[in-house]
Amino acid sequence: MSGLQRPDWAPETIDVERPSVARMYDYYLGGSHNFAVDRAAAQTMMAAVPEAPLMAQANRAFLRRAVQYLTDVGIRQFLDIGSGIPTVGNVHEIAQRHTPDARVVYVDVDPVAVAHSREILAGTDGTTVVQEDLRHPERILAHPDVRATLDFSRPVAVLVVAVLHFVPDHDRPAELLRTLRAALAPGSHLVLSQASDDGRDDAERAEAEQVYRRTDSPLSVRSRAELTAFFDGFQLVEPGVVWVPQWRPETPEDAEDAERAVFLGGVGRLGG
Amino acid sequence: MGEPPDGAPRTGVFARAWARALSGTSYLPMPQAQLETLLQRLTDLLAQTLRTEPLDLRVGHRIATELVAAHIVSAEALGRTLEVVQLRLLRDLDLVADDMADRMARLLAAVATGYARALRDRTLDEQETIRRAAMTAQVEAEQALRASEARFRHQATHDALTDLPNRTLFGQRLAAAVEASAGGGRRLGLCFLDLDQFKRVNDSYGHRVGDKTLISAARRLSRAVEPHLVARLGGDAFVILVERSTGTGDVVAVAEAALAALSEADVVDGNDVAITASVGIVERRADDTSPDELMRAADTTLHWAKDAGGARWELYDAERDTREKARRALSAAIPTGLERGEFYLDYQPLTSLQDGSLLGVEALVRWRHPQLGVLRPDRFIGLAEETGLIVPLGGWVLAEACREAVGWSAATAQPPYVSVNLAVRQVRRPDLVQEVRALLRRTGLPPDRLQLEITESTMMSGAEEPIRTLRALADLGVRIAIDDFGTGYSNLAYLRDLPVTELKVAGEFVRGLRAPEAADERILASLVSLAHALNLTVTAEGVETGGQAERLRAIGCDAAQGWHFGRPAPAVNILARVKGGAPC
Ligand SMILES: C[S@@+](CC[C@H](N)C(=O)[O-])C[C@H]1O[C@@H](n2cnc3c(N)ncnc32)[C@H](O)[C@@H]1O
Repeated sequence: MSGLQRPDWAPETIDVERPSVARMYDYYLGGSHNFAVDRAAAQTMMAAVPEAPLMAQANRAFLRRAVQYLTDVGIRQFLDIGSGIPTVGNVHEIAQRHTPDARVVYVDVDPVAVAHSREILAGTDGTTVVQEDLRHPERILAHPDVRATLDFSRPVAVLVVAVLHFVPDHDRPAELLRTLRAALAPGSHLVLSQASDDGRDDAERAEAEQVYRRTDSPLSVRSRAELTAFFDGFQLVEPGVVWVPQWRPETPEDAEDAERAVFLGGVGRLGG
Repeated sequence: MGEPPDGAPRTGVFARAWARALSGTSYLPMPQAQLETLLQRLTDLLAQTLRTEPLDLRVGHRIATELVAAHIVSAEALGRTLEVVQLRLLRDLDLVADDMADRMARLLAAVATGYARALRDRTLDEQETIRRAAMTAQVEAEQALRASEARFRHQATHDALTDLPNRTLFGQRLAAAVEASAGGGRRLGLCFLDLDQFKRVNDSYGHRVGDKTLISAARRLSRAVEPHLVARLGGDAFVILVERSTGTGDVVAVAEAALAALSEADVVDGNDVAITASVGIVERRADDTSPDELMRAADTTLHWAKDAGGARWELYDAERDTREKARRALSAAIPTGLERGEFYLDYQPLTSLQDGSLLGVEALVRWRHPQLGVLRPDRFIGLAEETGLIVPLGGWVLAEACREAVGWSAATAQPPYVSVNLAVRQVRRPDLVQEVRALLRRTGLPPDRLQLEITESTMMSGAEEPIRTLRALADLGVRIAIDDFGTGYSNLAYLRDLPVTELKVAGEFVRGLRAPEAADERILASLVSLAHALNLTVTAEGVETGGQAERLRAIGCDAAQGWHFGRPAPAVNILARVKGGAPC
């Protein structure tokens, strides 16, 4: 996440003086796993985009429904990349409610998020936490803890939820996803969501960009077409790539004003 | 939906309204139905509490705690909860009593209190866990940093193949050892070790086996000389540092242990790989030396061991080193000396034993060295031959001799020929004939006034090439002499086939000519008659007395050279003597 130059051999160091995307997100969701810097950054964001907490909540709810759907179609293995800090509604909690032997690997680049997840998950069967970067999918796939937890000869659901907008085009997100796809057995699934400027007019887009540029992690917002293209090789399940509240809502009212959620999301299935 | 007698449907209506009120206040990690079920149970609790005497305020706390536990955790959630309960609960559930407003107010106050308390606890817990996570992450990051720094340092100071310390680390350790041993008169030593002809292992088994052999050698070495430090300097070169030595013997023992360990049979990938090594040993007082000096001395000594055939150790010898250094310095100065004109020629007469006339002169090179004064050829010709510098130096001598000799025709009616020594390397050069021909043309010296002296051994190599060269030279009309005859094989038979005109008999034979009828004289006599039979003239070298000259003449020797006939001197002096008719 940081563009600082450091020698190859030096690992990323921790800087709690800098806001973290993971902890800001926790704040939007109503959690207290955050520091003053994170709250300050989140409040700046909310001053510009008052819907920010709503966006986070809508996204998190999409994640919950997607995992619920996946367990319903028989998926028992999950690879959650960019899993974050949140301790409410974690993937393994949702999945294991119906599938007690579901296995979940959490992956995040943020070392604090990883340390926190480790503490929370200590003693939880079938779960593992790995500190890695989505931009190195081959390292994620080769990681011994990942290999020990997931059986790639059977279907796995890969979740890349509210993460891709932190991966700019020059990091070749489509290629990263292709690398992940190549490791998956037929029947595997891909869950994606990310911030989108779809359908906004130029003035709104300019204003949003302005805001994002002021934050620490500039966002790569993408259109519906771009997000749909990320599902290359997968068959989108109904209703396709939509504003996240519209993805299999529990009640029709839930899907009202859906574009206010800013996030588009979808689920794809690997055929065969 | 009908209206059953019990309160359940009514509770349902209220719970749904409550759920709607909560939506959007914070993230609710459960499906709507699950939320409604929860709220319905809490509604029942509320209703039951309001109906029960006495009013149990703890239930208010419990309800609040359950809400927070279900992650209904925002200020808005509390506000809306109070609002919806206040506005709708009594009506929706038909709760009527005189003091109901009063009871409701007290219960809601308990809910609010309990909520604030639970939320505060939850917040503090979460703050604590995230802080702990940050600390853990910090510690882990620092550990990782330290570990990678250590790894990096290790890589920078160790050899990747054998994992032995590398030159850098060895340099540091040696410097530290020298410094630590200084002052107390303590001693230390080095063994420079090099595998003999290791390239052959690579060539015959491939680099994989070569590398494995090096790894195995490194392992055996370090084990054999423990606890002394072993480093790999690169390639197949290793070095051992022996600290706190009590004398040469300690370090020799280490070298012997190293050689023994390396000579053990080794099977690498199924190949029997036999290796030997050479070791250069230096051992001395730390006060008298520096790391650089130690390294250099050990390296020099290693080369001695190699030059002596390898598979051995050699001990540093300061005198030998000084000698060799001086020789190296001298040979390195030859090219500059040539450039600066520090070389010049003296000539020694070759005198006829028949009539005492001057037949020729032998050119002898001198070096007027700026620091060492005038040097005679025995100081530098050997060096020049070893290094190949004899080629330019010999070329210069030849050219200079021809240049000077041309002038002599003007000085005397019977100018002497000039005799110049040719080294093996010169004779082997393919362009020698070309060079001589060009020289004669350029200077105008008649070919028969140039004599080239070669040693027996030059011809004895048996190679065709030098013989062809000699023929070509003889065809030019140049005289060819065999120098120092009698010191080598003294094989007259092969002379028959060579275009040689003269034999120069070595001074050793002449020195034996004391008593008449001595063995040397008989040998010399038959040698002369044999030479004459082959049409060769014979010149005796090293003639120092009149008596020797007399005996040589009696034997039939043609000419002589030596102090008795004149010491080497500049050409003018010799010519002056000829003109002056001085007796020779
Ligand atoms: C907004 S949170 C999303 C959390 C969770 N996936 C969800 O949707 O509820 C984004 C997370 O992605 C992580 N992240 C950002 N860039 C990443 C990358 N290149 N590789 C892995 N994780 C990344 C952040 O540290 C953060 O925890």
